[in-house]
Amino acid sequence: MDENIINQIREKAKELLSSGTVECVIGYEAGTDGMTSRPAFIYEASDVERLVFDNTCTHNLATYLINKKTNKVAVVVKPCDARGINVLLSERQIEREKVYVIGIVCQGVVPVSWSGSGKDLQMRCKLCNQHAPVIYDFLIGEPAVEPVPTVSPWTSVAEMESKSSAEKTDYWNKQFSKCIRCYACRQVCMGCYCKECFVELLDPEWVGIKIDTSENSMWNMIRAFHLSGRCIGCGECARVCPVDIPLGLLNMKLAKEVAEHFEYRAGLSAEVRAPLATFNKEENLGIGE
Amino acid sequence: MSVDYQPKIIGFLCNWCSYAGADMAGTSRITYPSNIRIIRVPCSGRVDPLFIAKCFKEGADGVFIAGCHPGDCHYVEGNYYARRRFVLMGSLLEYLGIEKERYQVEWVSASEGKKFTQLVSAFTDKVAGLGPRAEGQ
Ligand code: SF4
Ligand code: SF4
Ligand code: SF4
Ligand code: FES
Repeated sequence: MDENIINQIREKAKELLSSGTVECVIGYEAGTDGMTSRPAFIYEASDVERLVFDNTCTHNLATYLINKKTNKVAVVVKPCDARGINVLLSERQIEREKVYVIGIVCQGVVPVSWSGSGKDLQMRCKLCNQHAPVIYDFLIGEPAVEPVPTVSPWTSVAEMESKSSAEKTDYWNKQFSKCIRCYACRQVCMGCYCKECFVELLDPEWVGIKIDTSENSMWNMIRAFHLSGRCIGCGECARVCPVDIPLGLLNMKLAKEVAEHFEYRAGLSAEVRAPLATFNKEENLGIGE
Repeated sequence: MSVDYQPKIIGFLCNWCSYAGADMAGTSRITYPSNIRIIRVPCSGRVDPLFIAKCFKEGADGVFIAGCHPGDCHYVEGNYYARRRFVLMGSLLEYLGIEKERYQVEWVSASEGKKFTQLVSAFTDKVAGLGPRAEGQ
């Protein structure tokens, strides 16, 4: 744990709560397992000592802003989560004036599961080229020279692309057959805020309740599609999947297409519209040639 | 593959152009394969990627989508938005193991009855050539 970061978070939280600037500070506190951290909602200045920050702070707290729209709140974000705030702002889901962003210059987080945490950095951190948040009101840490990721983000995607149709079908069927449709991947995602999700509609029924791989595939395919050009690659969906479906491999494919076709990466700015929410008349995208 | 294998193809045609084009092909008595089951939509922008996924899930061998030429959309911008979705959906389908030959998007105007039949014939041949979809695809 970096005491300096923690102290700054606590001080800021105390100042914001006691001055009445915000109703709540969304941050991290130590989990009951003594090993990992968990999201914390601090309403009283006297509770700020609960706040911590370490390399198990994997959760994307921007997700919680969706249910905290009435009064101003503060939120602790890593650079990846900060891109999520931009996505929510550009989609008019939250108002800039109602969010106080405490940005952290991040050194990466480790894999976290119910049974503890790993040592190696998460894949998203190995790929990260932006250790300072893109949006903040208060910054903690010194923005250093940005790291150049040594791994290409598209390596695993390219590997999958090179397989035959039969191999791809086989691979994804094996993966999707495990899905128990718990929708944890949706609940944890800052981009999945729909009041009515397509998967729960009964008329028309897009995904049947039958226990069947094809129904699971519908869910997984469309969930990924709905996040195309919006997914910030936080990897939380895959982390919470109880049956370890590599959802990142799906999300990354769409991120790659979006980068190639539209030169776009989600969340870099709150002013730009997501690629599927806009168009360019001049492009032809290889259709109808 | 047996010689009498007949692929099932779902066609989403925009009411204002391609559907009229298909109509024109019909009234001009130009023949084209009857494998395509046409669903009329008010605009290519109405074709939610969910529709495409559902077609393949329910066993379609191919999905063909046609709308107004860029610049001619009855709702001005529908097809501009749609083509971005179609291109991403196409790559996603292929990534999940559905051959890209099973999916095609075209621009066909109301006066292009002939073009419509040519496109549909070629598409049907291509899909038929692939044979039935693999188990579980
Ligand atoms: S978290 Fe995993 S098992 Fe649950 S719905 Fe998502 S993909 Fe399926
Ligand atoms: S999967 Fe799609 S419909 Fe469901 S919550 Fe996410 S974005 Fe909304
Ligand atoms: S889809 Fe997954 S990786 Fe992308 S933003 Fe949502 S939770 Fe994060
Ligand atoms: S009306 Fe034909 S594509 Fe929009």
